[in-house]
Amino acid sequence: MTIEPDKTEMEALDALFAEVAGQRAEPSADLMARVLADAARVQAPAAAAPQARGSSGFFSPLWTALGGWAGAGGLAAVAAAGVWLGIAPPAAFETVTDVFFGSSVTLQVFSANDVLGMGI
Amino acid sequence: MNKPCPETEAPDAALLVAFANGDAGAAQLLAARLLPRTLAQAQRMLGDRAEAEDVAQEAMMRLWRIAGEWRQGEAQVSTWLYRVTANLCTDRLRLRKRSVPLDAVAEPLDGAPSVTARMHTEARAKALSDALAQLPPRQAEAVALRHLEGLSNPEIAAVMEIGVEAVESLTARGKRGLAAILAGRREELGIEDDD
Repeated sequence: MTIEPDKTEMEALDALFAEVAGQRAEPSADLMARVLADAARVQAPAAAAPQARGSSGFFSPLWTALGGWAGAGGLAAVAAAGVWLGIAPPAAFETVTDVFFGSSVTLQVFSANDVLGMGI
Repeated sequence: MNKPCPETEAPDAALLVAFANGDAGAAQLLAARLLPRTLAQAQRMLGDRAEAEDVAQEAMMRLWRIAGEWRQGEAQVSTWLYRVTANLCTDRLRLRKRSVPLDAVAEPLDGAPSVTARMHTEARAKALSDALAQLPPRQAEAVALRHLEGLSNPEIAAVMEIGVEAVESLTARGKRGLAAILAGRREELGIEDDD
């Protein structure tokens, strides 16, 4: 069973509401500092994230496809090895190439006197 | 003549987006604008300064965290903050309800009327908060937003994401419940009758 409060009780409650509603609470300097410190902590990684993504220009997708710095390091090593082999090929490498390309063969598809292939 | 700074007059939502984009000044403006209101709401609902500070800090932390996902025009920042603060307060009141038995609400320290009659405003605020803790959370939230924050029923409906009729029902039942809880304790609380 619910007991209905009388008018006086409701008026007293209204007076209490009015009193508490009139209270103000100014934040202390310490609380403000804590709140701003929280904001800085939340903001720090969010601000760093766009920089971590790198440039957003034309080459950005290509850079990503190559694997960023790690991929570029591997490519640079392979390219350097290729340049070195071109300048100073090892003896063993020359032997192998000689086996395949050492002797030259001249093939003549058309007769020098019958370039149109008419059997003249 | 000093011209008004455009940032200081920017809407809360615009400042929140600026904050998400790394503008540190936006955090200071938002904190200066919203923290006093948030702290006062928590203080009035909880009647306890330390608890109110914890709630206000947590509410502001949630605001910072949601900044990156904030969509301008979808909701008022103030409405969102009222909701978060009220929810955090009702969570605290729910915990308090378990630890504060009904008959201990606003219990005077030594029971002497002469002492209790002099309970100052903070103590009465705490007593009101303890009584709020005895209400169902939704009623406590609606009553606090209506009678302590002075929001209109449509504003409360927006904060609580319910209809205006539901707000009217919650506030009416909550107020009756509070009056019943506090009945007979007016003298202890230092609330004097008019007649």
